[in-house]
Parts: sequence; C-alpha cells; structure tokens
Amino acid sequence: MSLGRLVLRHATSHPVRSLLTVAAVGVAMFLFCFLRSIVTSLDAAVKASASNRIVTASAVSLFQSLPTAYREQIRDVPGVQSVSRLTWFGGLYQDESGFFGQFGTDPEVILEQYPELLLPPAERAAWVADRKGCIIGAGLAEKYGWRVGDEIPLIGTIYPRVDRAEWRFTVCGVYRSAKANVDEMTLYFHWSYLDETLERGEAQGPRGTSVLLVRVQDGVRAEDVSAAIDAYYSGGPQRTRTQSEAAFQADFVNMLGNLPTFLGMIGAAVLLAILLGIVNTMTISARERVRSMGILKSLGFPDAVAAQLYLLESIALVGIGATIGLALAYGSVPFFRKLFGVQIPMYEVAPDTLVLAVFLTIVIGLLGGAVPALASARLKAVEALRRGA
Amino acid sequence: MRPLIELEQVRRVYLKGGEPLVVLDGLDLAIGAGEFVAMMGPSGSGKSTILNLVGGLDAPDEGRILVGGEDLGALSPAELAEWRARHVGFVFQSFNLLPVLTALENVELPLLLTPLGKAARREQARFALEIVGLADRMDHRPRQLSGGQEQRVAIARAIATDPAILLCDEPTGDLDRHSADQVLDLLERLCREHGKTILMVTHDEAAAARAGRIVRLDKGALVAGSGPA
Ligand SMILES: Nc1ncnc2c1ncn2[C@@H]1O[C@H](COP(=O)(O)OP(=O)(O)O)[C@@H](O)[C@H]1O
Ligand SMILES: [Mg+2]
Repeated sequence: MSLGRLVLRHATSHPVRSLLTVAAVGVAMFLFCFLRSIVTSLDAAVKASASNRIVTASAVSLFQSLPTAYREQIRDVPGVQSVSRLTWFGGLYQDESGFFGQFGTDPEVILEQYPELLLPPAERAAWVADRKGCIIGAGLAEKYGWRVGDEIPLIGTIYPRVDRAEWRFTVCGVYRSAKANVDEMTLYFHWSYLDETLERGEAQGPRGTSVLLVRVQDGVRAEDVSAAIDAYYSGGPQRTRTQSEAAFQADFVNMLGNLPTFLGMIGAAVLLAILLGIVNTMTISARERVRSMGILKSLGFPDAVAAQLYLLESIALVGIGATIGLALAYGSVPFFRKLFGVQIPMYEVAPDTLVLAVFLTIVIGLLGGAVPALASARLKAVEALRRGA
Repeated sequence: MRPLIELEQVRRVYLKGGEPLVVLDGLDLAIGAGEFVAMMGPSGSGKSTILNLVGGLDAPDEGRILVGGEDLGALSPAELAEWRARHVGFVFQSFNLLPVLTALENVELPLLLTPLGKAARREQARFALEIVGLADRMDHRPRQLSGGQEQRVAIARAIATDPAILLCDEPTGDLDRHSADQVLDLLERLCREHGKTILMVTHDEAAAARAGRIVRLDKGALVAGSGPA
C-alpha cells in the first residue's frame, strides 16, 4: 500500500471515464504532433534544398513548357556547371487513385546534380544505359510492390499515345533519399525517350521541358547566375523566372497559403480543448472525493496530500494518453509519407516536436490537477467531512 | 496525576448565515489517561465540535486544549497533522473508509505517516485487523462488508498507529443492536486491555452505560453532576 496505489485505485475506480480521458488526450496529442509535423516537414524540405541549384521555369506559369534549345543556351551562361531537363509527365497508373509524380529527365546529369538521390552504382549504370528505363523511389516501390526488372504501365494524359496503348517503363533501380527535399515517391525516366516518341508522332503533347535544373559552379553566387539567365531571355522568345531551389520549394509551400498557420492554430486549439477536458474530468473526480480527502486529513496527512494525489492522477492520465498519441504519431509516419508522397517529401515527426509534446503533456497534466488541488488544499478536514456526508 | 486531556475555558463560535453561533462557551473538561468517557447531549450541542478540537482538526476561539501537557494551540497546522497521526485515532458514525481501498489497505493508510517499512506496515495493519476480529476480511472492499464490519475496520485503522487516544463520534449510530454491541465490546477491550483513552459521543444510553463515566453537554457547557466520577 502506498499513495501511488491510491492514485491508481482512484484512476481505475471509474474505468470508462478514465479510458475516455486517456483516449481523448491520445487523439489530441496525435493530432498536435501530426499537424505540427506537416509544417516542420514542409519547412525542412525548404531548408534542405541546396543553394548551388537553381530552377528555371517559364515566367508565365509552371504549366508552360520551355523550348528545348534553352538547355544548350543556358549551359553557355557564365557560372553554369550543368543543366538537366525536367518534364512533368502526369501519367496514370491503372486509374486515378494510382497517382504519383513522374518526370522525364537527363539521367546522368540529374544524378550528378542530386547527390542526395541515392542509387547503387549498378542500378545507376543500368538506368543510364536503358532508354526505356526508369528509377523509382523506395516508398513507391514498397507501395506497389515493384522491383527492379518490373515494367510499369502508365496511361499518358498530357502525352497520350496515338495507338492508345500505355507507356511502359522498365524499373532499373530503386532510389532512396538522403535529405528532406527529395521524396521517395517519384518515378524518373529518360526525357529523350519521351521526346523521340513525340518526334516520331507516336504520341502527342507539348514539346520542350517543364523546367530546367541548373547546377551553379562552386564559388559563384546563385543569385547572379539566376539574374543572368533571366536577363538573357528578357527579350523572349519566352521569358524565364529563375529561382534558387529553396525558393522554388518555398513557392510551393506558399501556394498552400496560410495553411501552415491554420494547422498551427488547430493544433493549439486541440490542446486547449484537451486541457479543458482534463480539468473537467479532474474536477468531477475531486468533487466525488471531497470526503476521502477529509478522511486523509483527519488521519494526519498534511493539507498538501490531496493536491499531490490530484496532480499525480492528472499527470498519470495525461501521460498515458500522450504516450499513446506519440506512439500513433511516430507509428503512422510511413503511412503518411506514402499518403503525402510528393506533396510533403520526407514527412517525419521532428525531435523538437517530441520535446514540445512532452513539455505540453507535463504542463497540461499539472494544470489539470492544479484546479482541484488548489480547491481541496483550501478545504479544512472538518469541512470536507461535513460536506461529503 | 495530571489528566491526559484538558479543555480549559474553551469557547467556539461559528458563523452561521452571518450570525455568530456560540457552540461552546467557557467549557472545562478533563479526561484521565486510560479513561473511557461517554459524552451525551442534544443534537447540535457541540459534541462533534469537542472531538474535533481534541483531535486538532479545529481550534478554539478562546481557551486552551492540552493533551499530554502539550498546548495544541502552539502547534502549526503541519505540526498538528503530524501530532494527530501519532496520538489520535478517529472513529466516525459513518465509518469513513476509503471506498477504493481494501480493508487492509484502509488500515495501512495511517501507517504511511510513520517511518515503518512496507512489510512492517502490512504486518501491523494485519495485527490491528486481528484485534477487531476481521483478519479474514482483509481483502474486502468497504462495499462488501456489513456496517458493523466496516466500523470495526475503521476502529482497526484508528488503532493501527497505536495512538493513546480514540475519539469516537457516535460509532454505533448507524448500527443495529448486535453490531453495536460488538463495537462497544471492542472499545471496552481496547480501553481495558490496551490502555486506550476513549472519548465517545453517543445518543444511546445503553452504549453510554458501557463507559466508565458519562458527561452531559447542554447549551455549550457541561451539565452539573457530570464532572469527574
Ligand atoms: N463548520 C461549521 N460552520 C458553521 N456551523 C457549524 C460548523 N460546525 C458545526 N456547526 C454548528 O455548530 C453546532 C454544533 O455542532 P456539532 O458540534 O456538530 O453538534 P453535535 O455533534 O453535538 O450534534 C450545530 O448547530 C452546527 O450546525
Ligand atoms: Mg455530531
């Protein structure tokens, strides 16, 4: 027998009430971590972007292709080390639900530009050599159970084949990502294969490239190169808008508008609701135990004993709930990473979210117990026994 | 020999609806060590108030309360709580066991305030339950016990720390005759065999007759003729 045992007995004396409280805290903590992780993962993607890479797109819109010739011209701009094309393919796998990102690109160049794209040397060589080959992210491979050697059929939407058949890409490799700016849910294939097919008239669609990825030479300021490229095309034929990769990512995040702010507000509201919930539960429990607290005091327990018991109980309930919520948040990372795919590359629960969650758990636990604790500490034993009668 | 419990000119005034209510007015009472005293008086005459004062749960507005020569008024609330844990056991009309704890755990409760270790606490609580004849009901919750059994568990709890004084507020008030007799037998035995000093409030003449002395309270003071026997 100990006071800890008494806390446990109190907490389990209304099992349904306690379970509901624990569950509510669990759900709230999960939601908080989840919403915060969306925001931090988006941020991380922007921060992880390299500063020596810039992206050239049409000044009109992202959906407007750039002429193929721009690649050679930009390669001649001083300070440019390499340029790769990147064309949004927009194919469908099986049906609309099977959507994921697909890009036509220049394998050798992009692999050199993106060291964070991890691919075994043998698979790298195989992809470069196979005109109809592709590489896929590990998340994508896992989601559809694809392995090296499989053929992935895609229905062209922007680039439909004239014979109405599917496009077929052979999986040459499965890449992993070393940083948050690159997701593991994308398929990359040869830009030149797409272009040749269009050239032969076997498929229809816009020629050119969606964007150009530019690697800036070391020691050169990316801003200067961006300015030089945009200046070069200022008179047409098509004006460009060149940004650092980070800015490009940030642009995408900005497209979400105030969403991150809203998510933060929802997270805070959820926590506030749960704080009110736990205060309510503890107040109801405390009201039922006025008499018990009077008994303890008449036995010679100090006035603070009631406060201790309520605080311990509140912290225990909130702690168990929060642990479940955190376990859910961490356990669901692979699921959400798959679900979000390209939209939030490398979704994860950041360590500082964990720290914040633990801190908030303690604060909510303390506040939840503090309300009845304060009320009961002021109550005299005689008073408590009379009232509880 | 000096009495164990002394109330000197005790005055206690409550505020009831803004009006002062004089419950005790210049009360003197002395109880010797090892005495079994029954206190009677009409409802609202201040009997419970006296028990609370002697047990240090309440403080007088005027006058002094001395227990074993110690002036309770000189103790801080924390010291008073500690003093109470060591020297006083309460027994209430409505038993006042914690419903979520078993009989044994209820009896162990006051022992948490002693320096005893876990095993010693258990042993002592078991012994107290044996004294009240309920060793076989250790693991029952209060709800699973009869009123008489509950009150005996409460008495076991009151004596668990081996205090000198037992303060009983109508301990048989909620019990049938048979259970009441069992409880009174027990109190008598605790006084006779274990040397406990008992102050028991009761409305029942038969119960009061078990005590060594009866004091009667009316209008805030002792009724003449109820002094030391
Ligand atoms: N905390 C309190 N506040 C106000 N009035 C009280 C309080 N405690 C007791 N009283 C009043 O004091 C009187 C004596 O109470 P009590 O000692 O319980 O009487 P008894 O136990 O003899 O029936 C009663 O009228 C009661 O209502
Ligand atoms: Mg009374």
